[in-house]
Amino acid sequence: MSSHNVLEGRGLKKSFGPTVALAGVDLTIHRGEAVAIMGPSGSGKSTLLHCLAGIMKPDSGEVHLLGQRVDTLGERGRSVLRRTRFGFVFQFGQLLPELPADENVALPLMLGDHSRARAVREARSWFGPLGLAGMEGRRPGELSGGQAQRVAIARALVTRPAVVFADEPTGALDQATGHDTMRLLVEATKHNDASLVVVTHDPHVAGWCDRVVEVRDGLMLTGRPHAASPSPHTASAHAVSPHAVSPHAEAGGR
Amino acid sequence: MRNLMALTWRLLRGGGRRGLLGSSLTVAAVAVSTTLLIFAVAVNFAFAGRAGREAWRSPVPAGGTARAIEAVQADLVRGRLVTVVHVAVLVPGIAPPPGLTRLPGPGEVAMSPALAAIANLPELVGRFPRTVAGTVGDAGLIHPGELVAVVGHAPADPVMSGRGTAGHRPGAPATRVAGFEGATTPDAGAYSALAAVASVFMVVPLLVFGGAAARLTVARRDRRLASLRLVGATPGQVVVMTVAEAVITAFGGAVLGLVLYAAASPPLTRVEIAGGPWFVADLWPGVLPLAAVLLAVPLLVGVSAVAGLRRIVVSPLGVAKRETPPAMRFVRVTGLLVALALVPTLGFGARVGVVVAVLGLAFLSLNLVGPWVVALVGRVTVRAARGPASLLAGRRLVDDPRSAWRTVSGVALTGFVAGFVGLLAPSSSLSAQDDVVASWLLRDIRTGTLIVLVVSFLVAIVSAGITAASSVLDRRQTYALLRLAGTPLEVLDRARRLETLVPLTVMGGGSILTGAICATPFAKVGVSSTGAITLLVCVVAGFAGVVGAGALSRPLLRSVATDPAPRPD
Repeated sequence: MSSHNVLEGRGLKKSFGPTVALAGVDLTIHRGEAVAIMGPSGSGKSTLLHCLAGIMKPDSGEVHLLGQRVDTLGERGRSVLRRTRFGFVFQFGQLLPELPADENVALPLMLGDHSRARAVREARSWFGPLGLAGMEGRRPGELSGGQAQRVAIARALVTRPAVVFADEPTGALDQATGHDTMRLLVEATKHNDASLVVVTHDPHVAGWCDRVVEVRDGLMLTGRPHAASPSPHTASAHAVSPHAVSPHAEAGGR
Repeated sequence: MRNLMALTWRLLRGGGRRGLLGSSLTVAAVAVSTTLLIFAVAVNFAFAGRAGREAWRSPVPAGGTARAIEAVQADLVRGRLVTVVHVAVLVPGIAPPPGLTRLPGPGEVAMSPALAAIANLPELVGRFPRTVAGTVGDAGLIHPGELVAVVGHAPADPVMSGRGTAGHRPGAPATRVAGFEGATTPDAGAYSALAAVASVFMVVPLLVFGGAAARLTVARRDRRLASLRLVGATPGQVVVMTVAEAVITAFGGAVLGLVLYAAASPPLTRVEIAGGPWFVADLWPGVLPLAAVLLAVPLLVGVSAVAGLRRIVVSPLGVAKRETPPAMRFVRVTGLLVALALVPTLGFGARVGVVVAVLGLAFLSLNLVGPWVVALVGRVTVRAARGPASLLAGRRLVDDPRSAWRTVSGVALTGFVAGFVGLLAPSSSLSAQDDVVASWLLRDIRTGTLIVLVVSFLVAIVSAGITAASSVLDRRQTYALLRLAGTPLEVLDRARRLETLVPLTVMGGGSILTGAICATPFAKVGVSSTGAITLLVCVVAGFAGVVGAGALSRPLLRSVATDPAPRPD
């Protein structure tokens, strides 16, 4: 396995009773790559994300993160894995309504070993680069949908994960806001040397990714590179990281 | 209107398993409230019933023509009180007292069943005439085991001229009466007043709890109702639908509560007050009061639901947009201070009505101050928080102090009761040997106190359990997503526990102190160790119960958080 590969799923199968959700899927995510998983409802794309992210155990097959097998870990081990090596952005409802935005972002750090002061300081440093300056003390109910998703992106990245999983991250947003959110998500993950896996049924969202894989009836159809230029959007990437000076060195040092 | 009702019914039934769970929580909450409310009402009727059945033994001097002479004598046989009523008829045809079909003539006696059963004891042989002329029925007895004899005399007998009556409390000297209607005895009056005070103590936490039950329904429906509002339902339609749903649920709960009460009443009749247990009928206040409770409960729940709905009705977006709540103002505290300032002016001789009013005032002020203090406690917790659990708990307290207050209010108010009676509870050494009724009264205050405490703790514990479960249901999506993102459930669990324990510790202690201050002017008998121990046991049991009830929702948290693909519903 090449060190270029960050996450690798091999022969993933998963059934729910008589329903086959995954019928043997192989998928490799490379370092710094943004991959869109597309497919109609019920095709198994969400199950694929759940198996790759350690949310579910596949019935058979293997999942490797940076060369280490992770699907055999117990519930607790997978929890720690999700908290430390992965980041998550969901459609909505992932922010705790009673916490201000900065504390929502700081939460994963506080769950680790960070002191509260350090976690909040670190969390706040993400607000400026993500266009959220001044929103630190606002609570999720006082943010717009797009702002809330950017807070969610900050929370996904604050632990400097290897892979960010996004499940319909723009599903609750209008098109323009969805575009902005996707651009920030892709740029921010790339800038932090993380890979991105997006589950979506929206071709516009998929258009932001380097590669699109399609899932149909539990099987992968294609692994084609994106039709357009490899990644037009990342070319314009400005520093979407609190440590603009040398984010790569820091992220790579994990 | 009919369409609206049909839609409400469909929404209620089609809520799915979690919707059903939420509805059952409301039903359970309302059922327990109703059971306890019926009990609180029944207590008053029960004592009034006793007072009425006892009245004929409190002779009222005739204003006009006297038609009979009545004297009442009481003494102890093997530690049990025997009441002997001596009667002599002056004008034939006078109606007999309740429980008797006819008055015993000279040389005859009528006995209560319990007395007839022990009439052969050596102490009693020869005390009464041999000719038994009838039975003193239930209508003339305070309690089923009461020992009562009615002895007939000629008007000229010495006992009928006022001599020879013993000095025991229930006694009355020979009195020329026009009839046997009598009057409420002072003891019966005292018991009725104490029952009224006990009812206040039980009803106030019940109202808080009932309000929580109603808001439970509304909280679950918030999102759905806001969507209905967004698609164009008028405020009126939304109100009708929510209130209809709350009232339907509450009525089901109220009926279940009646059934629960029926199941609980047989053991309750065995509680001994004033020397004896109760007739089964004593605990059934009659059709009208029961119907009133069964109607009032759904009505109150409906009103509470409307209050909870204001936000939605004002703006369709009001619910979706959660804003930082305005800080609770200090004004709330001044109400409590005013009530506390009034208490010392009462003194020992204050009338029962005034005492009840001031206690009620102090209680309601505590209820106003509660959320303010919870918010304060929350801010301190947030400032001091180091780990994620305490930070979450503190933010939750600041975010919705009223909800946290509803969880702890039962124990906080019970703490007030416990502080109040903890000092008042009379020590047994004070019971007067020569005055059996006075010693009963002292013992009964303790029994009554225990019952009120048990009721309050039941409310507190059930309310804590239900509030914890509903808060899990309300946040199920966020909890599930947090778990997906790797948040350990223990952190969420610890946060939930702290969220109850922190205000409970602060406010439980605070209200016990408040209760103790309120009791000071009344506590002439001094602090009793029994009272202090009772207090301690109750505090410990209350904490354990509330924490345990909160822990019961842990499986629920686990089940909602392990939903692999949470979707908003």
